[in-house]
Amino acid sequence: MIWIDVILNGLMLGGLYALFGLGLSLIFGVMKIANIAHGELVVLGAFLAFAATGLLPLPLWLVVPLVAVLVFALGYGLQLGLVNRVLGDDPMPPLLLTFGLSIVVQNLLVEVYGANNRSLDAGWLETARIDLGGLSVGVLPLGTLGLSVVLFAALQWALIHTAWGRNVRATSDEPGLVSLMGLDRKRVFATVMGLSAALAALAGMLLAMRTSVTPFSGGERLLIAFEVIVIGGLGSIWASLIGGLVLGLVHVLSFRLDPSSGLLYGHILLLVILLIRPEGLAGKARTR
Amino acid sequence: MLEISGLDAFYGDFQALFGIDLTLAPGAALALIGANGAGKSSFLHAVCGLTQARGTIRLNSTDLSALPPQDRARAGVALSPEGRRMFRSLSVRENLLMGANVGRKGHWTLATVTDLFPILGEFANRPAGLLSGGQQQMVAIGRALMANPALLLLDEVSLGLAPVISQEVLAALAGLRGQSDMITILVEQDIGRALGATDSFLCLLEGRAVLSGASAGADLDRIGRAYFGEDA
Repeated sequence: MIWIDVILNGLMLGGLYALFGLGLSLIFGVMKIANIAHGELVVLGAFLAFAATGLLPLPLWLVVPLVAVLVFALGYGLQLGLVNRVLGDDPMPPLLLTFGLSIVVQNLLVEVYGANNRSLDAGWLETARIDLGGLSVGVLPLGTLGLSVVLFAALQWALIHTAWGRNVRATSDEPGLVSLMGLDRKRVFATVMGLSAALAALAGMLLAMRTSVTPFSGGERLLIAFEVIVIGGLGSIWASLIGGLVLGLVHVLSFRLDPSSGLLYGHILLLVILLIRPEGLAGKARTR
Repeated sequence: MLEISGLDAFYGDFQALFGIDLTLAPGAALALIGANGAGKSSFLHAVCGLTQARGTIRLNSTDLSALPPQDRARAGVALSPEGRRMFRSLSVRENLLMGANVGRKGHWTLATVTDLFPILGEFANRPAGLLSGGQQQMVAIGRALMANPALLLLDEVSLGLAPVISQEVLAALAGLRGQSDMITILVEQDIGRALGATDSFLCLLEGRAVLSGASAGADLDRIGRAYFGEDA
């Protein structure tokens, strides 16, 4: 029974990890760039939620979507204003730009909020538990996993079945060709970056409900997001979900068996995957 | 009506076209001929806005010269690119729908395009990347037609295709002639076939227009000399 509990906890943590990875994977898939500021977008989501709950008499269920929408707009503007300018054949400029952005955001947050630990007060949700066949399960972690799966499914559905999704896939296939179809690829990229940022901010708010964050929490989340997409593999949305769940499981299991190991076993898993299955657990081998 | 005057095109410091002038009436079909590197594709790219260019391009009294490619597409310029350039992870149907993104209404819809190329209806849900070269060429032409273009640019439609397939493709295109106001510019290696499918021709040599005239009864010897740059 204790092991079922451990596995369930691992999967629930994995749901959050998967959400860290989802936005990063989306950007990488469409623009073929790594967004080093992804972790800072996670943290920014949490801090904007702190600010909103502190300044406005709004309930948390209203603050969360509000912040997500705000960060979508931020990501959209960021892409149009900055990232689009450095996109090209060379992967280095976007890497440097987003690295610089991550430092700027980090220091702005320290400047405005200080370096203290903070967490979002989710009220009754933090301690609420439900009984699942004899197992007492936290409502917040379970809800996080559920929301994560729903978001993965929704994004997958949108990519396959909407005109927006068709345009995104076409832009990913042939970025130089879509302008002949009347599309401005820079705007397509902007919607993708906005969505990625909103997903990161959402994950950040969920993170801040279960643990405390500081302006420096972004780096570790970026690392987890990278591990999620490497372990899961590139080429499909679902691969990131699998990567997140597996990484969450490994973290919780290793914490149980070797409490002082920290994130060590997750990193070892990453190295093992890179050695024996570089395309990831659920990724497609690259043929090009 | 397509009016092009003084069109220069550049790739960085390299100048690919020098002062091309061209006027085509509604419904006209032009064969653009010339050796490899003569500037045929550069001409098409300059019209689409894909390469740096100077000069004026007016299509049905809209000045395209200063517009980015996506706005030229909306104004009615459509290209079937060399090498076919499928959206590989999209199905045939989705590739065709991409062409309709410009939002121009007209004769061409999924139904009329699949009437023209029935095989595309049959393979509608297959990934376009898995089709044969000839079928991909039909997708590329169909995708351009889905835009209901005022100006259809066809780059190397029979390159890499079996002769019988390219004849099928050209026959389908020939069937469209004289049915609408759509202007067609065709780049094609086989000069005989190119002349057979068009009203007039323009021969390029090293980025300059060296010979033009009516396709019917064109003097192949003169075209041959212009093509290779021999003095007439």
